[in-house]
Amino acid sequence: MGNCLKINNSDDISLLQGGEISNTQDFAPDQNDPAPIYSELLQPIFFPSPSVRRPVSHLTEEEQVKIAKRIGLIQHLPIGTYDGSKKSRECVICMIDFCVDEAVRYLPCMHIYHVHCIDDWLMRSLTCPSCMEPVDAALLTSYETT
Amino acid sequence: MSELQSSLLLKKQLAELNKNPVEGFSAGLIDENDIFRWEVLIIGPPDTLYEGGFFKAHLYFPKEYPLRPPRMKFVTEIWHPNIEKNGDVCISILHEPGDDKWGYEKASERWLPVHTVETILISVISMLADPNDESPANVDAAKEWRESYPEFKRKVARCVRKSQEECS
Repeated sequence: MGNCLKINNSDDISLLQGGEISNTQDFAPDQNDPAPIYSELLQPIFFPSPSVRRPVSHLTEEEQVKIAKRIGLIQHLPIGTYDGSKKSRECVICMIDFCVDEAVRYLPCMHIYHVHCIDDWLMRSLTCPSCMEPVDAALLTSYETT
Repeated sequence: MSELQSSLLLKKQLAELNKNPVEGFSAGLIDENDIFRWEVLIIGPPDTLYEGGFFKAHLYFPKEYPLRPPRMKFVTEIWHPNIEKNGDVCISILHEPGDDKWGYEKASERWLPVHTVETILISVISMLADPNDESPANVDAAKEWRESYPEFKRKVARCVRKSQEECS
């Protein structure tokens, strides 16, 4: 009990010390305690691999780099508007017909999808769902040749 | 892809399969209020050991479908190298792509978000006709299929008969 006055001007190390100091904590307002459950729920979720699901704070450094690279690659894929072409009438991911002037993402293989449909997939796997061409390889080749 | 979009996509497929049935299977829901759980009846493909059988299976779709694959489980007893004894189907297109958990599969053979109930069932029906010896889920069935085919045939024939009795 004697050290409860110090609590405000030192780091809160209660989590490191375990449950023994619960008495002193009663005197300190818990404004500094984050609500871990809520903050985790609000965090964006990433998929370092398709079957590995992690909130952003749980990513390893290696996974962060992997995801940052992936986001960079996806952002380099052109977005256009659907021109009414009969060759691809529907987005084969959600099976909903494109509307004229709707935003679509072009992959290097020229397959098109709704931006949100394909981006969700590319964040898990960098392959075209229609022809299975690896998007990153094609993108890198196109950089070298142009 | 939100849960709403997933359920819309599944509803669309169900309506389409009801309107234009595909040869070899019929599809419906286990519970008509739950679009994420399907029941299918697979007709044993002609000219295979499974001919004449009626095999019931369930498909469990995740809320993230089509970004993630469903699980498929035979409810009717079936003896096959790529179907576990508890009925779980083990085929590559139902495995998620990515870091190589299953080293022997090419990424192109894994799950893709363009797969539908129809394409999954076509793969499963072709697996019945043509087991994949390299990745057996039922090791005993695979061993029999390779080494004591008459015994394998006998076990499959028993499943076919049993499936007919259950259906009638």
